[in-house]
Amino acid sequence: MFFVVLSAQAQTKMTAAEASDLKMKVKTLANNVQTISSDFVQFKHLDFLDNDIKSSGHLTFKAPDWVKWAYTAPFEYAIIFKESKIFINDEGRKSDIDVGRNKLFKQLNNLIISSVKGDMFDEDKFHMEYFKTEDGSLVYFSPKDEKLAQFIKSFHITFNEHADVIEVKMIEHSNDYTKIIFSNKSLNQPIDEAVFNH
Amino acid sequence: MKRFLTISLICIFSACASYSKKQGFTVIDSEDSIINPYFSNLDKDYVYKAQIEVYDKVFGGLFIVKKMGSGSHRIVFTTEMGNKIFDFSFEKEVFKVNYILKDLDKKILINLLKKDFKVLVTEDIRSMKAYNSAEDTVHQTIIDNQDYYYFIGEKLHKIVNVKHGKEKIVFEFYKIEDHVSKHILIEHLNIEFKMTLKSIN
Repeated sequence: MFFVVLSAQAQTKMTAAEASDLKMKVKTLANNVQTISSDFVQFKHLDFLDNDIKSSGHLTFKAPDWVKWAYTAPFEYAIIFKESKIFINDEGRKSDIDVGRNKLFKQLNNLIISSVKGDMFDEDKFHMEYFKTEDGSLVYFSPKDEKLAQFIKSFHITFNEHADVIEVKMIEHSNDYTKIIFSNKSLNQPIDEAVFNH
Repeated sequence: MKRFLTISLICIFSACASYSKKQGFTVIDSEDSIINPYFSNLDKDYVYKAQIEVYDKVFGGLFIVKKMGSGSHRIVFTTEMGNKIFDFSFEKEVFKVNYILKDLDKKILINLLKKDFKVLVTEDIRSMKAYNSAEDTVHQTIIDNQDYYYFIGEKLHKIVNVKHGKEKIVFEFYKIEDHVSKHILIEHLNIEFKMTLKSIN
C-alpha cells in the first residue's frame, strides 16, 4: 500500500500545455536522430512467475529504418530489421524472413523504431495520456488499430529531462509486460554499417 | 489364404513384435511408480532458450514452465523480444489454451504440443511393466492412451513414445543438476519436428 501511494504521488497528469511542450521536444529530437547506440536490459514480466526474466544486450539504430537488437546475456541472439527483411542470428544459426508483403510486420517494425525514438504521437493511431514523473515524463500510448491492439494493450514510454527515451514498457492484454531500460545511450555518433551485416 | 495367414503371423511375431522385445529388454519386478522430477518444484521458474525446427523452418524463443500446484502447470512460449506466442495451462486433467498467436491457432499443432508438454510435466508415473535393458531400467506406462517407455539409469534420461512397436517421439534429458534438466531434446521421428531447450536461469 505504501508503494502504491508513493507511485501515485510520483506520477501526475500533465496539463495540455505541458503535454504539447513534451511532444514538440520529443519530435524535434527524434527528427534529428540519425543513429542510436545503446545498451539495454529487458525484463519480461509474467504474472505467474516468481521473478521477471532478465536479458540484456545492445541496440543499434540507423535512420531511416535499420534496427539491430543484439542480446548477449543470458543467450546470444541478434535480430536485424533492414529493408523489409528480418535477419536472425540465433547462437550462430542464421536465418532471414522477407516481410516485404507482411503489412503487420512492417507496422510492428515502424512501431519499434518509433518507440525507440519515442515519437509515437499519432492521434489517428493511439490514445495518449501524459504524466510528469520525478525526473522526466511518461506517456501512455494505447493502439487504436484492432490488429495491433491484439498484441499490445499499451506502450508506456519514459523520457528523461532531454526528452530522450530511457524506458519502453509494452503491456499485453493479460497485463503481462516487457520492459526495456536503456543505458549508455549515444545519439548521432558514426556507426559502422557492418554492424547490420548478417 | 494360407499365405496371408503366414504373412500375418510373421508380422505378429517379427516386424510387429512389441517394442520391448525388439529392444531386447528382459522383464523384471520393480516398484509401481516412478517420478519425473524435472518440472516439479513449485518455487522454481523454469526458463529455457528454445529452438523449434519444423520441416525446413526454425523458430527461436523462450520456453517457460511454472508448476502452479499439485498436477498443475503453466507453459508459455515467447519470442526473445518478449512477444507471447502461446500460453497453455494444465490443471489436473484439464488443458486450456490461454493464448495462441492467430497464425498458429491450428488444432493439429495445439494437439501435438499438448501431447508433448503433458509428458514433460507429468510427475507421477504408474509403471505398468518394468524391464532391464543393457544400461537402464525401463518402465512402460500409458499417458492419454499412448504407450511410453521411461529409461532410468542413474536418473531418468529418456522417454520414448511408441506406436505399433516403433519409436514415435523421443524426449531426452541432459545436464541434470538438482532435479533440473538443463538441456532437453524433444524429437518426433515420424514428422520433421524437433525442439531443443537450454536452461538460462
